[in-house]
Amino acid sequence: MPDSPNDMPVELSERISASDAALAARVACGDAAALTPLYQRHRGSVYRFSLLWSGSAAIAADVTQDVFVHLLGHADAYDAGRGPLLPWLLGIARNFVHRRAGVDARYVPDDVDVEMAEAAEPTLDEAIDWQRALDRLRAAIAALPPHYRDVLVLVELAERSYAEAAAICGCELNTVRSRLFRARALVAQALRASSDTRSIARG
Amino acid sequence: MSNADLDRRFAALKDAVAGELPPPATDRAIAAAVSRAARAPRAAARGDRWLAWPLALAATIAVLSFVVRSLPPEAIVSEPALKASGDEFLAVVPFADIESAGDALVVPARLPRTTLAQLGLPINPARAADAIDAELLVRRDGSVLAVRFVY
Repeated sequence: MPDSPNDMPVELSERISASDAALAARVACGDAAALTPLYQRHRGSVYRFSLLWSGSAAIAADVTQDVFVHLLGHADAYDAGRGPLLPWLLGIARNFVHRRAGVDARYVPDDVDVEMAEAAEPTLDEAIDWQRALDRLRAAIAALPPHYRDVLVLVELAERSYAEAAAICGCELNTVRSRLFRARALVAQALRASSDTRSIARG
Repeated sequence: MSNADLDRRFAALKDAVAGELPPPATDRAIAAAVSRAARAPRAAARGDRWLAWPLALAATIAVLSFVVRSLPPEAIVSEPALKASGDEFLAVVPFADIESAGDALVVPARLPRTTLAQLGLPINPARAADAIDAELLVRRDGSVLAVRFVY
């Protein structure tokens, strides 16, 4: 037992009071100010997910704003018993970013042999520029079909677990695995194509 | 391109955006939305104040479950002494808070067995993943004051 009943329990109590779930419950009950710490805590993750998904800082900023304004009005839809807040916010961000990209959420091209567009215009610069390599990677991700992009950004870049990605995307765990496998293959293929084209251009 | 090479590129991209935050305009927009909502709270919210404590309680139980799952393994010992723990409530806040809590309620809950370790009680590692029945002493604002395990 703790030396004093006040030692660990106070810390536990404070952690609970400052938790996402408690703050979200306060927002749901009309305490709008409780949104501010939630925004400070999660704005980066939501923004970066939207940025990596869309490739556009402007879209990412709009989506981030939409997500937290949505939370302000719909915090009662969050069920803390079903999981942490951040994956729930990323699920909302996914919906908003799909909407802005004009993606039909019902379209799931898992069993379609997708032809990848070339990731990016080749560069004639012979030096291997890491920044350009990253740009090509961004372009390859942006060229992915939306449902592949979802899992790739969530798992590889936003560090979400497979289970969280499945919950966010509303699909089975095995679907996440297969989409991720396919997404990685498509990105690798696009980067290879980009590299080959550069080699040809250099002659 | 190998998987390792692809992973290296993903890691580099992740690092490149690691410090990215929304622009100040977004911060201001959120602050304005909060301010507007605070000035004119939703009618539904005002009418649904009775929902506050059940929501807070549900949130508290969920978070309590989450917190105790991350306990260090050194807190785990054998369970034979478990029965000796008694069936009295264990305080999780200062006693003064409990005394001033007023009309607290007793609410049944199922918690991860690792909750026992958080409170310094022994648990059986073989059953650490199981849930355990408990009763929570809860204040009207949803904060947990004490817990009792039902064996």
